[in-house]
Amino acid sequence: MKPVSVLVIDDEQVICDACQLVLSEQGHAVTLTNTGADGLAAIRQGTYDVVLLDMKLPDIDGMEILNTVLKEKFEVCIIVMTGYSSISNAVEAIKKGASEYLAKPFTDDELLETIGKVCVDTGQQSTT
Amino acid sequence: MLSPTKFENYFRVFRDILRSIYHSISLQEVFNIVVTKTAEVLNAKGALLRILNQETRQFDIGAAYGLGDRYVTKGPVSTEKLLHHPSELHKVKIITDIWHAPRVEYPQLAWDEGIRMILDVPMAIGNEMRGMIRIYLAEPRTFSPDELDFMVTIAEQCACIIERVRLAENQQTHITHLATQMEKMSSLGRMAAGVAHEINNPLTGILLFSSNMIKKVDPGSSLEKGLKIIIREALRCKSIIQGLLEFARDKPPKKVMEDINDVIRTAMGVVENQFYVRHVSLEPHLAQNMVKTPLDKNQIEQMLINLLLNALQAVEDHGRVSVKSMLDSEKNRIAIEIADNGCGISAENVKKIFEPFYTTRANGTGLGLAVSYGIIENHRGNIQVFSKLGEGTRFVIDFPILDKKPGGKEGA
Repeated sequence: MKPVSVLVIDDEQVICDACQLVLSEQGHAVTLTNTGADGLAAIRQGTYDVVLLDMKLPDIDGMEILNTVLKEKFEVCIIVMTGYSSISNAVEAIKKGASEYLAKPFTDDELLETIGKVCVDTGQQSTT
Repeated sequence: MLSPTKFENYFRVFRDILRSIYHSISLQEVFNIVVTKTAEVLNAKGALLRILNQETRQFDIGAAYGLGDRYVTKGPVSTEKLLHHPSELHKVKIITDIWHAPRVEYPQLAWDEGIRMILDVPMAIGNEMRGMIRIYLAEPRTFSPDELDFMVTIAEQCACIIERVRLAENQQTHITHLATQMEKMSSLGRMAAGVAHEINNPLTGILLFSSNMIKKVDPGSSLEKGLKIIIREALRCKSIIQGLLEFARDKPPKKVMEDINDVIRTAMGVVENQFYVRHVSLEPHLAQNMVKTPLDKNQIEQMLINLLLNALQAVEDHGRVSVKSMLDSEKNRIAIEIADNGCGISAENVKKIFEPFYTTRANGTGLGLAVSYGIIENHRGNIQVFSKLGEGTRFVIDFPILDKKPGGKEGA
């Protein structure tokens, strides 16, 4: 898979660290943020192919970030991470425009496969 | 034969007592009227109404009339001495010799009270004793069969009202118990959802690091072995949490009209191999006249599978589990009974089985019955457990049929 740039927005440092390890080993560029505000600022400033977005953040609700990203028309794939394992929560996010969801807890393979899938779906991997 | 005047008096007393019963005055007031009116109409010195305490098997005082406090409150009255024989349950026992009758436990006190004759009128329903009306007379006299019949009828009416109140109290206790149970489940559900969320985050870290690390270690090494265990156990935690969230999530059932017999057959199909391997028989007794009921097929299937697997765990190899479906057209309800001849559940543990994490199995999550309880609750159903240690357990679940016409057309 062609390397992509990934932004992780999660207040759990252990999840950020684990995602960074797994993704950077595969050659992906990883940026970590721990709050919704930082995450949103990073999206506005940078160019990311994929955002791994936790649905429950201390400052801004994940769904609100998703709405803002869609409203401001950033060309980025959003993968929502939900700690509730609640399909309805994830379905709502996907209906709004998120590309995929990951139900916590997940393995490294699930993470890589999901990123691979959304990149293929959006044509970011068409050259490979 | 009673004279017309006497008959009129007896009729009036009977009417007053019946009115007191049907006009929903308190049980105590009914008893007071019974002892007063009965003693008056019989020209008796007094009367005492005793109720049989179902737990202690002793007679408690219900009401007294015309007797001194010292006599009324003297000691307990033992059941055995009053209950001589079931054949006497609907007969008046006449005691003329109060000094030598075994039923008179305090003859000296009775004599001092001015009592010379006693009538014991049992309050019974069928073969069940509910209490006793004792009538005290200052002088011995004879009673006509009509008078004795009058006393037995009054006593039977009293037994009926005691039974009615007892049933109402039992129902109230049952309702209170259910309400407490629901409240408990709801709080546990909320707590479970919070706990599950908090645990999922560290678990994601554990799973991501370990699943990543295992690819870097030498195959067959002790490190790989340890990591495999970490991954396996983390995944086990994941399934426990998923079960917990299932339980906590107030997921409304997607009800469509289903034949419960079809759902039972599907659930049995899922577990039949496990029964076969253990040589446990799984016997269906499905009602022929079943009507379709609004059910969430998947949820009910899950609930049935949980109960069937529990039954399988409870029985020895070559044990027996039966699944019965029933239709109660009168009450507009359908019922499912899952019975096993396994080890049974103690009365103490029966109270806990629907609580999350309660399990007697080493590898059980303790969530199966808690989830099942929630499913039944969401279908506005009831679940009852009947169990005897060493003999087996019977779960009875019933659901309402929204379609009021059994056998009629499918309703929404």
